[in-house]
Amino acid sequence: MKIAYSHLVKHIAECPSIEQVSDSLFQLGHEHEIDGNIFDMEFTPNRGDCLSINGLLRDLATFYTIKLNQDIYNEKLDQLEIDFENLSEDICPQISFLKLEIEQVPESYKGSLNNYFIELGLNKNNFFTDISNYLSYETGQPTHCYDANRMEGKLLFQETSKNEIFETLLDKKINLTNKNAVFLLNNKVINLAGIVGGKDTSCSANTKTVLVECAFFQPEAIIGKSIKYDIQSDASHKFERGVDPKCQDMVLRRLINIVSQHANIKNMSMISYNFKDNPSIKIPINIQKINEIVGINISEKEYLNYLSKLGFIIENNFIVVPSFRNDIKTQNDLAEEVARVIGYDNINISNINIPRNKNEDYKNIENKLRYFLLDNGFYEVINAPFVSLPIKGAIKVDNPLDSNREFLRTNVTNSLIDNLLYNERRQKDSIKLFEISDVYSFDDGVIRNRKLSIIGSGRVGLNFEDFSKKINKKYFNELFYEILPSQKFSFHTISRDKLITKVKNEIIGCEINIDEIPSEILSYKEQVKLPSTFIQYTPISELPYSKRDLSFSIQDFSKCKLLERYILEFQNDLLKEAFVFDYFYNEKKAEIKIGFRLIFQSTESTIKESQITNIMDVIIKHTNNIEGINIPGLKYSRDYN
Amino acid sequence: MPEDKHILPPELFKDRGSLHPINHMKDSIMDLLISFGFEIVDGPEIETEEFNFDMLNIKKSHPARQMHDTFYVENKSNLLRTHTSPVQIRGMLEKKPPLAFISGGKVYRKDDDATHLPMFHQVEGIYVDEHVSFAQLKDLIYKIIYSLFGEEVELRFRPSYFPFTEPSAEVDILSKEGKWLEILGCGIVNPVVLENCSIDSNNFSGLAFGLGIERIAMLKHGVTDIREFYKSNLDFLRQFK
Repeated sequence: MKIAYSHLVKHIAECPSIEQVSDSLFQLGHEHEIDGNIFDMEFTPNRGDCLSINGLLRDLATFYTIKLNQDIYNEKLDQLEIDFENLSEDICPQISFLKLEIEQVPESYKGSLNNYFIELGLNKNNFFTDISNYLSYETGQPTHCYDANRMEGKLLFQETSKNEIFETLLDKKINLTNKNAVFLLNNKVINLAGIVGGKDTSCSANTKTVLVECAFFQPEAIIGKSIKYDIQSDASHKFERGVDPKCQDMVLRRLINIVSQHANIKNMSMISYNFKDNPSIKIPINIQKINEIVGINISEKEYLNYLSKLGFIIENNFIVVPSFRNDIKTQNDLAEEVARVIGYDNINISNINIPRNKNEDYKNIENKLRYFLLDNGFYEVINAPFVSLPIKGAIKVDNPLDSNREFLRTNVTNSLIDNLLYNERRQKDSIKLFEISDVYSFDDGVIRNRKLSIIGSGRVGLNFEDFSKKINKKYFNELFYEILPSQKFSFHTISRDKLITKVKNEIIGCEINIDEIPSEILSYKEQVKLPSTFIQYTPISELPYSKRDLSFSIQDFSKCKLLERYILEFQNDLLKEAFVFDYFYNEKKAEIKIGFRLIFQSTESTIKESQITNIMDVIIKHTNNIEGINIPGLKYSRDYN
Repeated sequence: MPEDKHILPPELFKDRGSLHPINHMKDSIMDLLISFGFEIVDGPEIETEEFNFDMLNIKKSHPARQMHDTFYVENKSNLLRTHTSPVQIRGMLEKKPPLAFISGGKVYRKDDDATHLPMFHQVEGIYVDEHVSFAQLKDLIYKIIYSLFGEEVELRFRPSYFPFTEPSAEVDILSKEGKWLEILGCGIVNPVVLENCSIDSNNFSGLAFGLGIERIAMLKHGVTDIREFYKSNLDFLRQFK
């Protein structure tokens, strides 16, 4: 909600700067951003009372002297004769109507009404609607203006299940379904209560006689309707959060005052209905409880002074909650008021000492499995449970984000297959993944299973020992036999037949319930050391890789480490990774053969052949100058000298 | 192997895998809280409305209960928990105060954009004892934030609103760029919640807090797009070891 600084400060005697008002609002819990001289407020949902100039000023009265200069019409009014019936008094316990006729529609606005449109840069609509919008901004109470000449007949308020097409004053046609609180004129819906009025009875630029409706609607009857019908309205935002149930008469009298500043009123009459009493909430004064909750030690006098400034009334031994504060019911609510006024950051810390609790068996087996898999080059992934295919027992989501995510997965492996294919499409040729997750199914009740799923495909590893070995069932079985000889894992080949992929590597996977894992895993001694600091992430490139292999024949073995260090430590922005993929010592020939794989990738554009050649030239030229090392097959070695 | 001392094979770099950064962050926070004395409690991701909302003082009319915010399953018989708080409710129903629980795991809300995902992770804690105060809650929060971000970090408490705590607060830290960033929500447990769990709110009070793991992981690792965590991209995962 946008509120102009000037509209607040003109009521504050101390004339604080915008920064001072901003600090005060933050202390009170009213988040906002400042755009020029406008506060863009974001109120918590329990503070519907603050959705106006007057509401904010009531809170700011904690820190400043507030002088409201808002005159209201105080004279006695004729009683309006209106054919109105309320069939849902629980939903609308208070409602007032004002009928008013003016001589001439004004051509321009004055005072606060004029400032409202100028300061907030708003478009005008018509005289009465403009006043209604301004009043909502000033008081927090929405009103609805009907063109009185279009209101002949019986007016009814009712929560009804009537299915009907309703055209709003914004020319939107909506199909009313299920229960809606509405106003009906001659049995036709003319207003979706608390949300938006109808086109047929709305005011126009020529309207001189208006019927203004000002009501309190129970938030429960309004909540969800604006989203259901896709109508964003200031009124619904306020009614959903709760308006002051005792302000309707005052707001209409304020409306009369503003109208009278702009036009001669020919006649007016008003009626107020109070279908249900709204007794004030009274909370016993208990300063000890307040001090206990907040952890402070203030006097009762100080406490009551804080509350008085916020509009609470002290009556005998009770605190009477003002009607606009529908969020205050308990001692804890009052404690929050006190804490806000003091300032959360000004409350002194009190030492906390939580008694020690035992956590002996916390996921020990699960964690040992995770570390074992990390030691062997597996990466942990996390997947959302939403899937498209209804497998037997799968739980159906009633309101999925889309129809492709309508069910909850009953296994983890299918998610890992998707992860594997995703990485294959990114040219990864050694993929080893695992996930531990709860999965849920339905069979006469919800069944919860905690599962470990493992998947692998391609090379066993990216080093000279594992590079030429392919992941297969034997690899997995041997790996797990080492730590869990008694456990039979059902590692199996996952067919690529129905997968969209051109890669031929065998996919091996296995899924097992965690509670089936024997406790012998607990004796496993992990090697991996988790990072002790938080690693700063480097954005990854989605552009394709290019790889080059470089093989050397070494006769002077003392140069081995020199070569290895040079290539593995070679720095270039385009060189993403380098590793030894081949190593062979030929005793007969007294020769070592070593192969390096270099992977290139740019973060800016698809890498070009010439960029790679330039880097390779630097490496080859350097290594070619090392005595006792050569690159078999390099035809023009002289060029690099 | 040859006798020549130079004939040593190259260093064998065995690729180690990595924990998922979200799980690693969650475990780190849980370990920290365990060191403060908290006990871990576990609960299901599929919950009832009673445990996810009613017991936590979230009224029938609260917007969070609408179909556009919460995933309901099997003809609204259950729902995907929107926070880990119901686990603490289950814990409070089983044990008597003093009690100090933490729960962590996946939670679900009907969001899907650059900054929100339909599945994310939370760690929440609750401590119920005699005379637990907001001033003590502040002490605990300072300890948590200082452990995560260092003692030089500047933080502030802002009044906020959660149906299950009163008073409620949100805590921000000041980033290096001078911007306040929301880190966690906390408050004094609403007596209604204690009474719902058959805990006498005249004799006991409690504090509660909750952290979004993704948000903290993004700040700590410098990840700017939350979706990166769930692409399972090896180039991404390899950075966290």
